[in-house]
Amino acid sequence: MRAMSHWLREHWIAVGSPIVLFIAWEWASATGLLREAFFPRPSTIVIHLRHLAADGTLWDHAAMTLVRIGWAFALAAVLGVGIGLAMGLWRQLGEGLDPVFAVIYPIPSILFLPLVSFLVPPGEIALVVTTAVTSFFLIAFTTTHGVRQIDRLVVEAAVHYGARGWRLFATVLLPGALPFIFIGLRLGLGFALIVVVAVEIVSTSRGLGALLWLSWQILKVEDMYATFFVIALLGAVLSYGLAALRTRLLPWVQDVAERAG
Amino acid sequence: MPTRAPKVLVNEVSVTFESHGRSVVALDRISLQAHAGEFLCIVGPSGSGKSTLLRVLAGLLPQSAGDVRIEADRPGTPLTAMVFQEHALLPWRTVRDNVTFGLENRGVGRAEREARAREMLAMVGLTRFAQHYPHQLSGGMKQRVGIARALANDPEVLLMDEPLAALDAQTRTIMQEELLRIWATLGKTVVYVTHSLEEALLLGDRIVLLTARPGRVSQVYSVDLGRPRGLEVRGSPAYGVLLEKIWSQLREEVVRAMAEDRGGEPA
Amino acid sequence: MSLAVPAVLLVLWEICSRHAIVSPRYFPPPTTVGWVLVDGFAAGDLGTQSLVTLTRLGFAFATAAVPGVLLGLLMGMARPVRDAVEPYIAFIFPVPKITLLPFLTIILGVGEPAFVLTGATSAFFQIVISTLGGVQTMDPRLLEVGRNYGARGARLFWKVILPAALPAIFTGLRLGLGLALVALVAVEFIAAKSGLGHLVYRHWQMLSTPEMYAAFAIVGALGLLLTRGLRAVQARVLTWQEEIGRL
Repeated sequence: MRAMSHWLREHWIAVGSPIVLFIAWEWASATGLLREAFFPRPSTIVIHLRHLAADGTLWDHAAMTLVRIGWAFALAAVLGVGIGLAMGLWRQLGEGLDPVFAVIYPIPSILFLPLVSFLVPPGEIALVVTTAVTSFFLIAFTTTHGVRQIDRLVVEAAVHYGARGWRLFATVLLPGALPFIFIGLRLGLGFALIVVVAVEIVSTSRGLGALLWLSWQILKVEDMYATFFVIALLGAVLSYGLAALRTRLLPWVQDVAERAG
Repeated sequence: MPTRAPKVLVNEVSVTFESHGRSVVALDRISLQAHAGEFLCIVGPSGSGKSTLLRVLAGLLPQSAGDVRIEADRPGTPLTAMVFQEHALLPWRTVRDNVTFGLENRGVGRAEREARAREMLAMVGLTRFAQHYPHQLSGGMKQRVGIARALANDPEVLLMDEPLAALDAQTRTIMQEELLRIWATLGKTVVYVTHSLEEALLLGDRIVLLTARPGRVSQVYSVDLGRPRGLEVRGSPAYGVLLEKIWSQLREEVVRAMAEDRGGEPA
Repeated sequence: MSLAVPAVLLVLWEICSRHAIVSPRYFPPPTTVGWVLVDGFAAGDLGTQSLVTLTRLGFAFATAAVPGVLLGLLMGMARPVRDAVEPYIAFIFPVPKITLLPFLTIILGVGEPAFVLTGATSAFFQIVISTLGGVQTMDPRLLEVGRNYGARGARLFWKVILPAALPAIFTGLRLGLGLALVALVAVEFIAAKSGLGHLVYRHWQMLSTPEMYAAFAIVGALGLLLTRGLRAVQARVLTWQEEIGRL
């Protein structure tokens, strides 16, 4: 109780600011200061959100998006960590692929949709693969970097104490690279959300991106806001949830943010 | 020999920090004096608040109680200039511009600033590196710049916060000799915080020993080993006797501090 | 950087396509794409469309950079501002910025302002976050140096805080520029009727694959050039920095 009141005293602005904003927004839309056609009242948006949730529409689309993110992320994680580790451990491979990655990586992933749709069956699979592209590159990059940055002294010490081959990999190289792999996974998950929404806008009638786009096309502005809110919530859960998981799974890693104070 | 006029007067100074709703006493009613031209060393275990005391003297940290006075006999010069641990040079400024930083802030003209920088860089032997950036220098050179930066400011009192702690043993020894030479030339009042009793005995006129948390003055020792002093002092019998005497006291404090860190387990 | 592997891949592609090991309709030989690039620039269309995208990028970046840096600095130095604004930044940052496009089009209409602003928000949040990080992670002893050596108020800002945050600001601008390009190309692909992103979309729909790959290649080159270019500028401007991070 005391800890809570202390916390509140420290953070009252951060808590109060959104509350004030929503009240101001509600008031401005109600009095016509903001055009309600463009900026519907938060209370109206909440009502629409409840409707969308009650008739199942929202869950349908959200589940679709989540399944796509799940598959794309799994694909990107397995391939990205695998190839990233190989590039980090095997120098020639790493140096050979570096320039290829450097050229492909900055290309916006949505542009891969046509290319991927030539390569794999169009529809769901093409969509998932396109979503995976940028995440894959990010994960591979950070994994390679994770292996390369391991302190040489630690590796020498491990070899000196008899760790070789598989054992060296499992006890030193993999754990050493793990913090970076985790950063890559987190960024990759975030990008999977960004790309899947764009891809859904272009090419499907289901998923949160599609729901947003369809609501726009028929000018259901309240539904647009409601969908946006759900997408933002998903983004927050994915990026901050994984960060919390990291502290549980890798307790020996000091958080960059913590170090900064 | 230092003159007896007091330069720095610290009277019953306490510092209390608030952290997570609890208050921690860092310094507890510290009183001490440094005379004009004196080289005063402050020694104590980690957590005894040595650096906190220096920050109070520099005006970087307000004390919770007590008062600090620094006698200014030349108007227009700053009261203090600090040499920081691990140099804390501004990495985007060249060596010369780091040295002139304080003068610039006080509005000293360009010509005078540059003349002053040349003089100070010559004193620390870095004339050739005036246009270099800090990252191009070795650790010892960086700390020479830190010292030149403080001296260029011509403060009433020079404050040094473990300035040599981050250097390797050989560089540290050479820098200690340099410091003695510079101090003998300029005759500044120096308040010098260090972990190392050997360093304090080599450099100081007096040594103030602080206790482990909260920091209190445990004992003040005068270092009567003569001046000018050099590394050879470490072979003299008087040095050994004094080292033994202060160390036995300091050891107690260190052991106490370590026990406290382990949560009160006896050593 | 060795270019052997990319060269081998291109040659392999060329051979496979010419001998119809992969479908030349979907994967035309790189030399064909190369000629389309040459012709496209000669005829002016590829050049024009690249210029459209670059112009949008310029406006988006200019719109985002100054407010982004200012807000980041303000948040870093004034705790109440940070507390008041941070919840929104944290909430919007992970959101795909393309979702802002429908909102901007209902407010501003379908057109350049909505397109450009979508790109700008993408850059804006990155720039704010990097700048804030630069102020927050600065060595606190440098602040003590500033104060002990007589730099207060505006002087402390100009001589200590701003230079200390500069590398992070630069990184934020670089990342922001990249993100703005990504968002703009997506906007063009989805909604605009011009620009490189639209070119890829149109030629995909018409299945004129050599033209599609040509536009694709320009986007890749542009992305590479911009990030590399800004990194080189950073190295030139901030000569005092020890090294510039790779990622």
